[in-house]
Parts: sequence; C-alpha cells; structure tokens
Amino acid sequence: MSFSEKVLVFENLDGLSTYIAPTQVDGVVTLSGSLKGGEFHAKKSNSKIASLSGSMLDKGTVKKSKHDISEALDSIGADINFIVSNHHINFTAHCLSNDLEKVILLLSEMLQEPRYDSDELTILKKRIIANLERSKEDTRKQANINFVSQLYPIAHPNARYNIDDTISMVDNISVEQLKDYHQKAYGLGTINIAAVGDVDPDSLNQLIINGFSPMAKQSISNEYNFPAPNKRVHKFIECIIKDKTSCDLFVGQSIDINDNHKDYHSLMMGIYILGGNFSARLMQTVRDEQGLTYGIGSGMAGCSYGISGHWYTWGTFSPDILDKGCDATVEQINSWFETGITEEELQAKKTTFKGAFQVSLDTTSGFVDKILTNAEKGRSIEYLDKYNERIDALDKQSINKAIHQYIDPKSLTTSVAGSLK
Amino acid sequence: MSDLFQHVRSSQGIEEYQLKSNDLKVLMLQNSSSPVATFMVTYHVGSRNEAIGYTGSTHLLEHLMFKGSRNYNKEKGTAIWDELQSIGAQINATTWNDRTNYFEVVPKEHLEKAISIEADRMRFSFIKDEDRQPEMTVVRNEYERGENSPFDVLDKNVWATAYQAHPYHHSTIGWRSDIENVSTERLKEFYDVYYWPNNATATVIGDFDKDETLALIAKHFGVHKRSEHTIPKVYTEEPIQEGPRRVVVRRSGQTGIVAVAHKTPEGLNSDTHALHILGRILCDGKSSRLHRKIVDQGLASSLFMYDFPFKDNGLFITYAFLTPNTDHQKVEDIILNEYTSIKTEGVEQKELDRAIAQTKATVAFSRDGSYAVASALNEAIAIGDWQFYTTYLDKIKSVTVKDIKKVAKKYLHDDASTTGWFVPKQ
Repeated sequence: MSFSEKVLVFENLDGLSTYIAPTQVDGVVTLSGSLKGGEFHAKKSNSKIASLSGSMLDKGTVKKSKHDISEALDSIGADINFIVSNHHINFTAHCLSNDLEKVILLLSEMLQEPRYDSDELTILKKRIIANLERSKEDTRKQANINFVSQLYPIAHPNARYNIDDTISMVDNISVEQLKDYHQKAYGLGTINIAAVGDVDPDSLNQLIINGFSPMAKQSISNEYNFPAPNKRVHKFIECIIKDKTSCDLFVGQSIDINDNHKDYHSLMMGIYILGGNFSARLMQTVRDEQGLTYGIGSGMAGCSYGISGHWYTWGTFSPDILDKGCDATVEQINSWFETGITEEELQAKKTTFKGAFQVSLDTTSGFVDKILTNAEKGRSIEYLDKYNERIDALDKQSINKAIHQYIDPKSLTTSVAGSLK
Repeated sequence: MSDLFQHVRSSQGIEEYQLKSNDLKVLMLQNSSSPVATFMVTYHVGSRNEAIGYTGSTHLLEHLMFKGSRNYNKEKGTAIWDELQSIGAQINATTWNDRTNYFEVVPKEHLEKAISIEADRMRFSFIKDEDRQPEMTVVRNEYERGENSPFDVLDKNVWATAYQAHPYHHSTIGWRSDIENVSTERLKEFYDVYYWPNNATATVIGDFDKDETLALIAKHFGVHKRSEHTIPKVYTEEPIQEGPRRVVVRRSGQTGIVAVAHKTPEGLNSDTHALHILGRILCDGKSSRLHRKIVDQGLASSLFMYDFPFKDNGLFITYAFLTPNTDHQKVEDIILNEYTSIKTEGVEQKELDRAIAQTKATVAFSRDGSYAVASALNEAIAIGDWQFYTTYLDKIKSVTVKDIKKVAKKYLHDDASTTGWFVPKQ
C-alpha cells in the first residue's frame, strides 16, 4: 500500500486541511497540527510575541482557568502542547482514542479563546527568563547562537538573537500585544492537522469541523521580505564559559539554496555522506579512528519555505584537544570537498534513507511528523509516495557538482564555546 | 514451534521461550501495524557489577562491542554500524545500573541481519587494546559532556551521597580516572564473565513470523554454549541510613537546583506501584501538587521527579529548577511540607483516580511502536521479571489512598533523606 493510500485527506473547511491515518496501534492517537504565524511573522515588532502567544494558551481560556484545563487533561492522561517555531504555531495532542472528543474540543477552545491573563503572563515570563539565563551556560546553545549570528543579519528569518536581547524582548511583552497578535494569526487559512492511530477517520474529521468551524480567517501576511544572508567570510568566534569540561564547535556557512530547488536533494545527500550518521565520514574518522569526540555530525538548516539556509558541522571536544578537533574536522571537510563522494558511499546512503523512512513510520508520532511536515511545505500527500524514487534518482556527479557549487571551504565560519584554554 | 525451544510462559500477548541448548531467553510479541521489527538483547550486567578501579567498565565495554567481531568487522567490510545503517536501521546500545542492551529497529526483511550481528558479538567480539585507546577518549568526552550539565553533576552527587557501600554509589559513566586507566584485560575479563546466552534475553517485537524467527535465533545464537561458570551475584547491601544527608555543589552557573531524595525498596517490592502513584500526585502534570505550589508560583521554571525501579534499592527524587533569586531553602521546605502533608493527611481519591488515568495512558503509549515495547520490557528484564511490564497497570489500578499514605510514611522520612543543592557561582 502506498503512503497516500494509508492517509485520508479532508478539506471540509476553507483554510483547514485534515490528514488522518488509522493504524493497528491499540487505543491511542497522536495528533499534530500547525498554522503559519511563527516568530518570523511577528519579527517587525517583537518575535517573542508569537512565541508567548502560544505559551500562554494553556494558562486559561475565557471559560476555563488553567487549573480547569490541567485537571481536564490530567484526569484522562492526555496532553496538549503548543510550540511556536520560526514559521509556525504548532500544537500536538496525545490521548487515548476514547478521549479524542474531549481533547479536540479543549484544543479548539484553547486555540480560539485564550484568557491572556496578566498575572499569568508575569509568572510565565519569570520562568522563560530563568530558562534563558540557564542557557547562558549551555555550550552548545551559545556556540550555535554565535555561529548563526555571523551568517544572517538580524532581520533575516534564520537569524538568532543573543540571550540578553531575547530576555529583554520577553520582558517587554504586554497582554495587549498578545491579544492583538492572536486576533490576526489564530484563524483559518493555513491550518494543517494530522492524526495517526486507533481512530475512526470520519468521526474525527467531524469533531475537527465542529471544533474549528467558528474560527475566523487569519490576517497575517504571507509575504516574506527580508535581507540576504551576510557575505560569507572566514571567521573564528570564541565564547568563554567557565567550569565546562567539554567545548562545542559549529563550523559552516550560508548556502544559496532552499528545499524546492532542483539541487537540494543532491546537496542534502552530499552533506549526509559527510556527517549524517555514525557510518558517515566525520564519525568514522574524527570519532572512531582518532577518538577525539563523542559526537560529530553535519546537516542543513533553515532551507524551507523558499528561504535559503545554511549547512553546519557540529562536534564536542575536551578543551585540551579542541584545536586538534577543529583541525581534524576541517581536514575532513576539505577532503570531502576536494575528492567528492564515492559511488559506494552513495549506494549505502540510498538504502539508509529508504530503510529509515520505513522505520520512521513504526510509531504514530513518526507517521504524523512525516504527514505534517509535508503538508506545511504545501505538498500533496502523493509527494511522499515518490520518496524512494527521488532518492534513487540521485547520482554521484550531480552530488559532487552541488557540493562544489554551494560549499566554499575557504570561507567557513567557526564558533566555539566552553572553558577554552 | 521448533523443538529447540521450550515455551516458558505468556502474558498479554508476549511469549517467553528458552533455547534449550544454552538457556538464552527469548521474548516475542507480534504486531504487524508497520513492516518493521525491533530486535534487542539485554545482558544482566550494568554498573551495579562494577567496583572501585573499574567503574564505567560496563559502559566502556559496550562501546568496544561496536568495534568488531568475528564476522562483522572493518577488515571484512562488514563493520556493524555500516551493515545496519546502510539498511536504514535505528541502532544503538545503552548501559545502566542493572543491564546493558543492544538493539536494532529494522525493516522487517532485515531482521536476520540484526539477529546475526547480535549473536556474533555475544561471544566473538575482538575487544582489542588498539580499539580501547581511541574509544576511551570518546567515552571520556561523553563523561565531559555530562559534567557540563549542572543537573547531571548534582544527580551524581546525590546518588554518591545516598549510597555509600552499594555500587549504585557511582553513575554508569564511572569516575574519570577509572575510564582513563582501566585495562583492556579487565574489560575482556568482564566480557568473559557476563556475555553469555544464559545471562541474556533476546526480545523480538513487531512484524515477523514467529517460527521463522525462532529458527533464525536458534541458527545464530545456538552456536554458543552456556557459560561453564555461574554468573556472579552482587552481594553488597547498603547499610541502613541513620540520619539525613546533604550535598552542595558550587560551580559557575546561572540558576539553582534543589533535589530532595529518599531511599526506596528494590523494584520488585510490592510498594513500588504505590510509590509510582505518589510520584505522579506530587509532580506529574500541571495539576500535580508541587507544580501548583512551586512552578505556578514562579519559584521554579520546571520540576520533575523520578523513582525508577532498580534491581536493588533506588531513590525517590524530586528536582526543582529555580527561577533567578529564588531561595533554595524556600523550595526545599515546600517539597518537604507537601511530603509531610501526605504522610499525615493522605491524598484524595480524585488525585489517585487522576494518577491512575495518567498511568493508563502512559502504558498505552508504551505500546506505540516496536521499539517502545522492547525498551519497556528491557527495563523490566533488568530488575528481574519481564512480567513487571505486563502486570504493571493492573497493580497500579489496585493501589488505594491508604497504600499511598502508608508508603509516604514508610519511605519519605528524614533519616533516609539526601538533599542536594546546586548553587551557582557568578
């Protein structure tokens, strides 16, 4: 059975698509959904408005206090969570199949009628700021923020604010700003909902229609006007954090490509061969042969929704051998760039991708993620049927050409954080 | 069913077999919801089986088990990671107090490869000194990454303070100097003592044919004999604690952490289920008692508790991650006052009902996917009875409010407590 044959697609409301896949799992359902309205959409005023508009959804509705909501969920062992990413407001729910109606009704109420109480906002800000303060001692986060900050101007959707600026942004948000953002962003228009598990598709679809039909249309702009990434330069950034026994390293650069581009899959496969899993080059050499790190890998980020992103290599090293680790990493990047990938590597990774896709569907959450990510990118469910074909179509020449076209080892940005020697 | 196996027992669809030739236990649960199967081998050896001088050895050995065996090695072009990742398998191994497990989640047509690899490295691993040297520094970096985390450091200190004689005193990663200095001979000795079919359980969950899979297990694992020696037992018992203990970790950082721990019985003790429910009432979900009194008041950004059942005793620990300028003592007092309240007044029936409903959903989700089932079974195997997993919900449902008050009074007393603070140094 093809992927699309397992999934029923409903388009009963204007601006809300529902994807439901009944499976043989016993008695549970995973539901995940999203709508456009992430931090980038609020960036002109304060991107954290979008983030807090989502974090406040479980702090009470017009009809229910936060304790009513938590009691309702905890009493049936269900959970509803909201996370606001760069582009989307995301929601997830896990529950027993018998409790689906209660959960959908509560979810739709939380999305449509938040209380946005000022006392609750004060407490939430305090908790968020505590987490942000804590992240100042997180070597990985600090190395990544400094790395990304070099790649993009602050108005770019992939840019990251430093921790102090983020704290200031959180601290300055008012209830009025949240209400205003909610009115614009939380509506029909770009909602996708995926549900997988022990579920009757028609009943669930009807529940979603009932719950979401009162929603008005969202009125945020889908226009993306932003500056280009910063010019690539060879740069080394250090961040000293006291009393850390392991340093984090990010090295990479911006790349002028997004996931709709014809070369995207070639470049993605090339980077995967460099550092996508344990049997990729970086782990085989820097970890397995040289013993310099517990973990090192490579990937792409920020390349969706028509936006060009970046590629990176990340690894951890003891402060005593950080220089050696950086050199070994760059040596592998240079070797990969100069000699390219081999046919043997490509064939092995093709079967890796196809097998991993099959394995990822073994859980309801893995299945849901595949459906929702595809829908968020505006692709039909049939796009997933051709996953193996797209992988099989990749060839060595195109991959090596893409590596040379989009990667420039002479202008890598390197960021390290930790108790540097 | 093959006559090479003896059927031992069944529970909730899970069947236990034993390979007659070498006493390897096999657990099987068929589920064809997706064309995937998980194969896992659990060995009854963990950091509990270590002592001073070779702490962390079980874990270091687990790393060396990926370096090559007779039929799966780089020289032959059949390295374990390459063989399994090239088919898209999820593959890894983990070590904890009471067990070490190796697993593969594979497209079902590749199940034999997973079985073959695990059988080969059960007795034919190389464990070479030339492999230990670079892998030691890999593991040391894993240790260093853990030491970066204030929570990890505090947690290690709490266990090391609460347990003085019993090997749960040290964490699974071990002490740094032991990681650096343990010899390859010591690791090989460890391997030769514990890695035998009669000290292991193979678990198969997912989409597979039972008879064919049993035949494959017999084909690949049947080449091994049972050990000629008796697998050694751990006989060290923790002396009774006779007073509260405290530990403070001061280190550069931004925000404080409070940990309140109390000793608990061995995992298979009949009080375990009531303690689990008590933990949920205190900390699980936004309607839990401590979430309302600490997180909802802005005193902590988050909190959680754990009381993992182990083969021997454990800890019932509540952790609170403080907001800036929150006083450690204030949060510690709130936690202890709540414990006192439950010891004197007990809990309400609706709190118990809610905790049981939460557990029911958690158990249902623990069957979502073949790996989830194998993983949950793995922990039950480790504490000594895989049916701990299949009977868990029924036992949880039988817990009463009276049981909860009883276990609170029995275990959450001052003389069995260890309190830990992480105090950030600016």
